[in-house]
Amino acid sequence: MLDRRQFLKLGGATAFATLFGGCEKVRKKLIPFVIPPDNYVLGEALWYASVCGQCPAGCGVVVRVSEGRARKIEGNPLHPVNRGKLCARGQAALQALYHPERLARPMKLAGARGSGAYKPVSWEEALSLLMTSLKKVRAEAPDSLLMLTEPIRGHAGLVAGRFMKAFGSPHRVAWAPLGADAMLSAHEAVYGLRDLPEHDIANARYLLSFSGDFLETGVSPVHYAREYGRMRGDRETIRGKVVHFGARLSMTAAAADLFVPCAPGTEGFVALGIAHVMVRDGHVSGAGRIADELAAWSPEEVEKRTGVHAHDIAAIAEEFARNPPGIAIAGTAAATGPDAVFQCAAVALLNVLAGNVGKPGGVSFPNRAQAFSKYGAEAALLVPPPASGYPAIRTALEKMRGGAFRMAILAGATNPAFTLPPAVKFNEAMSKVPFVVSFASFLDETSTLADLVLPVPTALEAWGDDVAPVGHAGAVTLCQPVVTPFHDTRSMPDVLIAAAKELGGEPSKALPWGSFKECLDKAYGGPGGEMEKALRRGGFFGESLSPPSAARRGNAALPKSTGRSVDGDPKAFPLALHLYPSIAFYDGRGANLPWLQEMPDPVSTAVWRNWVEVNPKTAAGLGLSEGDGVTVTSPSGKIAAHVVLNPGIAPDVAAMPLGQGHTRYGKFAGGRGENPVSLLPAGETYALQATRVVLAKTKLSTSLARTAHPEGQWNVKNMM
Amino acid sequence: MARKRKSDALVMPILALIAASAVFFVGEPTSAETVPQPIAFSHKIHVTDYRMNCRFCHSSTNKSQYANVPSVEKCMMCHRTIATDKPEIRKIAQYWKEKKPIPWNKVIDLPNHVYFPHRKMVNAGIACLTCHPGMDQAGTAVQKIEFGMGMCMECHRKKKVTIDCWKCHY
Repeated sequence: MLDRRQFLKLGGATAFATLFGGCEKVRKKLIPFVIPPDNYVLGEALWYASVCGQCPAGCGVVVRVSEGRARKIEGNPLHPVNRGKLCARGQAALQALYHPERLARPMKLAGARGSGAYKPVSWEEALSLLMTSLKKVRAEAPDSLLMLTEPIRGHAGLVAGRFMKAFGSPHRVAWAPLGADAMLSAHEAVYGLRDLPEHDIANARYLLSFSGDFLETGVSPVHYAREYGRMRGDRETIRGKVVHFGARLSMTAAAADLFVPCAPGTEGFVALGIAHVMVRDGHVSGAGRIADELAAWSPEEVEKRTGVHAHDIAAIAEEFARNPPGIAIAGTAAATGPDAVFQCAAVALLNVLAGNVGKPGGVSFPNRAQAFSKYGAEAALLVPPPASGYPAIRTALEKMRGGAFRMAILAGATNPAFTLPPAVKFNEAMSKVPFVVSFASFLDETSTLADLVLPVPTALEAWGDDVAPVGHAGAVTLCQPVVTPFHDTRSMPDVLIAAAKELGGEPSKALPWGSFKECLDKAYGGPGGEMEKALRRGGFFGESLSPPSAARRGNAALPKSTGRSVDGDPKAFPLALHLYPSIAFYDGRGANLPWLQEMPDPVSTAVWRNWVEVNPKTAAGLGLSEGDGVTVTSPSGKIAAHVVLNPGIAPDVAAMPLGQGHTRYGKFAGGRGENPVSLLPAGETYALQATRVVLAKTKLSTSLARTAHPEGQWNVKNMM
Repeated sequence: MARKRKSDALVMPILALIAASAVFFVGEPTSAETVPQPIAFSHKIHVTDYRMNCRFCHSSTNKSQYANVPSVEKCMMCHRTIATDKPEIRKIAQYWKEKKPIPWNKVIDLPNHVYFPHRKMVNAGIACLTCHPGMDQAGTAVQKIEFGMGMCMECHRKKKVTIDCWKCHY
């Protein structure tokens, strides 16, 4: 018999034997090449300049490449947008390049649409399918071809635009869920220009942010984060002051000197209150007829609507007027409410009254298309407006349902099947299109609606050019392959050029190049010329630029307030839903990259799943505590999520980040909660703040991971 | 009695530990040991008999951190015509025919967190045989001296070059 002692002896001996038995040296292998590539030097890194393709901000990157592999992405120090800085999304582009779920070859539908069942086919077969359909449509009804993409900038946009025009179809729709529709309309009314301005934050002394998200997910977060840093610390004796108005303590709000909570969708009213005080106290000379319009917006009146104290408004207005240059910025939340045009116009009006338009420390409108002036009217194809394209997509969907489209070409990362509210019925409309081709790197909610999926190279493997939306004053960035493409991919412009050649006639004449690279070579001087030098730097920066377009001075007009409020009865749905773009996933495109999934949200510290932020008092009233499961119900939909308590959010607001809740975007994006976009109504505008919700406690089988104590960030007791 | 048994129970595992660690520390294959290789390549024939420069095959020693192992293509540059009837050369030809790399076993390996750039040494004029003595007389690769930090430091001190920790450990 084995007694206890013997057992321990034996056990000990076995444990040691096992432990140290494992220490035997494992022989490593040295595997040489059979035939080495020509330019290959082991252990030697090369840096290639290109463009980050992870969001529309268009930052310049440099990529460290050794042994033929991209190893690390950094910001391009020469690039005017980001000056050597890069955000987490840009860093994660490496994971898109090496992603195990990337499409390696063309895929043909092998089941029902949307089932995700595909079988690989050769490029010959895929292209013959594409050409058969294109030829048939062109011969019978050319205007029944739809091209639905994200806004494509640079010569790729020229190729797509010319292809559609020569093909004979006017139906080219560009969809960008975070497009700035309301801001464009507001700026047209106030500045007289339908464009997004450059905000010269670095030289401003006073910044008013109206739900601004310029430090996290705005139009160019890296650019503005750097400008913000310069505003705060680059000038001796001047430290710019930031005041943030909004319904939620966002990352930008947390970086402000003063966070003033206001009711959701009322940011513009606060701006009008400030404008009123500026005019009333004689800080503005010659306000003209705008003074009459402002008369109604006394701080007391604004307090009633927004909850911001009248004396605070007066004090901030005084400070703002006495510390020029002052600048006012509206963010995504202000621009996606039900009355967004009016709200954004009110904010823009502050810039006009502060007299900062076209001045250092203010707003200006550079001519972004100047590098493409040789294309004349076609320049708009290379620099598309920063609009969302929502009205166009709604029209297109109507036509789809009527059977007007016989073929659709889909492309881009904006994934309409995921980012459009289900109430719009995108999937149903797409099912009415007989043949759908998608250019994609991954199978997502939209590309799985296609009959044929053509794999495209990632931004790190393709040629291209780009003009960023802000921060560059018209400079052109060049995009080059930093590695040999890993898969058998072809870029969309290349396929379109080849297709045009085969179609002959007009399309062939409109796209007279052999490949997209040839198109770029022709445009930029080609190898041996200017282009080669520019490729080394990352683009054409610092060339002599034409003066910025003149914005209209004075005579600014406020558009009519629609007076519309959020969707839903306040009694049945007590909380206003506040949807904000996620700093990690942007509009949802980054959700399949594990680096971004495991990045804690900077405000809530939550990881891997989505959540709903509620004020602790509101939560207590509903019997909810940290991490509880709730159903979030709006008049249009219902989803489940976990509660995160945020004392910096208005008590009548529930906030959710966008980007999670994918159903078809691979294993890293799947099973991470539900898509909050499904709570939105199918309104006339893509209004992320346009609905009300009700919360009800429920039991969820999942839990929410957070990297900090749920209360630790804000409850002083827990910090002691 | 009880006491003795108690110590007995302790002694056994400790003995086992000593025995095991002896195997661990002493029994590790010494670096001079010949490592089996898929092809009985002879450094002596190439370097001593035919007077070939090391860098003919290990061509990235002056350019890179690593002293690369030559590609199969490079072997075949000569052995397409030279000594094609020898059994070992036939093996190379077979790899070449199948377009497969030769799975050499690694002989020299530095611990993790040591950065050793070959090109710095080679470009400073350090002869290959300084660190790889006897390679010119060897068959398949051997490592006759052990790479310890002492060896590096001795030479670095003698030559009055950097002995900063961060130069090699990062």
